[in-house]
Amino acid sequence: MDFLWEGLREAVRLVASGDAHVFHAVWVSLLCTLLSVSLASLVAIPYGAWLGLYRPRGARPQVFLLRVGMALPTVILGLLVYALLSRRGLLGGLDLLYTKAAIIAGEILLAFPLLATLAHGATAALDREVVETPLTLGAGRVRAMLRALGEVRTAIAAAYLAAFGRCHTELGIAITVGGNLRMRTRTLPSTIQLELSRGDFAGALAPGILLVLLACGAAVVTYRLAREDRR
Amino acid sequence: MPRGLLLILALWAGCGGGADPARVRLATTTSTEDSGLLQWLLPPFEEATGIEVQVGPAGTGQALALGERGDADLVLVHARDREDAFVAAGHGTERRDVMWNDFVLLGPPDDPAGVRGTTDAALALRRIADARRPFVSRGDDSGTHIKERALWARTGGAPAGAPHYLDAGQGMGACLVLADEKRAYVLADRGTFLSYRRRLDLAVLVEGDPALRNPYGAIPVDPARHPGVRAAEARRLLEWLTSREGQARIAAFRVDGNALFHPAHGVG
Repeated sequence: MDFLWEGLREAVRLVASGDAHVFHAVWVSLLCTLLSVSLASLVAIPYGAWLGLYRPRGARPQVFLLRVGMALPTVILGLLVYALLSRRGLLGGLDLLYTKAAIIAGEILLAFPLLATLAHGATAALDREVVETPLTLGAGRVRAMLRALGEVRTAIAAAYLAAFGRCHTELGIAITVGGNLRMRTRTLPSTIQLELSRGDFAGALAPGILLVLLACGAAVVTYRLAREDRR
Repeated sequence: MPRGLLLILALWAGCGGGADPARVRLATTTSTEDSGLLQWLLPPFEEATGIEVQVGPAGTGQALALGERGDADLVLVHARDREDAFVAAGHGTERRDVMWNDFVLLGPPDDPAGVRGTTDAALALRRIADARRPFVSRGDDSGTHIKERALWARTGGAPAGAPHYLDAGQGMGACLVLADEKRAYVLADRGTFLSYRRRLDLAVLVEGDPALRNPYGAIPVDPARHPGVRAAEARRLLEWLTSREGQARIAAFRVDGNALFHPAHGVG
């Protein structure tokens, strides 16, 4: 147990000393995660809710594809973005490989099907009246959808949290298209991976502790935003 | 018992346990694994002795850390100072030369920093830094990273923090791909480069500097320090690696017709 205990103490010391590299990794992780989740959700949540509430023609195959996308391993998404951004790839001229933008692109692909599927699931289970009542009262479909989303805000908050969790613990994309470059694209999970490969257990634990703290922070924020405390 | 539970138990049993066959845990560097040397070298040993070799490829730093924790039985790495320190600290019983290979400085074939043909690797690094051309550093405390740092130290230090110094913190293969994508310079062991060569647009620009030689040593982890260590099996593997047969096998290893590793005891 000494091994774990000493590692923990050293890790806490590292966090407390404000190690610049670790905190830069926090910044990269947070920036990429927040941007990709919020950008993806702008489209994914209304899209999933639309499929769930109005069941348009062709909704079933779309839901199926979203579910496949949700189950894809992140390394596959990393490969996909890599193929696009590589010097020999379609968008190679943009020189975006090994930048934060590349990580964000990959994480959008990761978050989108997850958010859309969960939004679909939450709204499809709703009573039809939730949208039909406002529609008969003359509200537009978008307005009715927003109302329905308000009804299932707890599930939507959970969807955000799930997307946040998947993106900020993400390693396949961060390494494949981020390149794990120090003080540039190194995230908390890729720091853990690197410190372990250097045989520095405490160095791996310190970013691990910060990841847990971020997860707690995200849980509190989504809880607040969904106003679950005021029920 | 429900059938599902039985299935789970059967899978669990398949994961390990049962009779304990003879095996030895070899902690070694990514270069020996990525180049294909181990897949060539180890099967004859396993066949002759019935000892299964479990290979954990890692950076030199992690390989030595595995040994220090008693999570490996034999360490095969390339960082002489760290190896000696490992033995001096009592983690290993002895260190033996096994083989050597060499590093090469790679870069874009059009060589924008103009280092091609330089015989002094440190001078070449200086030129790359002065020309502000990107250089990919392993940055993972691996043997290659230690060699990089030693070369930079001879020429006034690495331009760490500069935008053209890319600290990747990844294995050799990943760094080669990164250098290829970024049209950057990179220090690599010749073996890994040769096995990646066809997929990369990188050329050997500097080679042959004695400072680029890279000796590999094997160290059995001390069973007095770590009682769980399989000392007998580790000893047999070490003896085999340094035997005439093992050394000849190392010398005979080829990638695309190129010899990568040179036996330390000169039988090849």
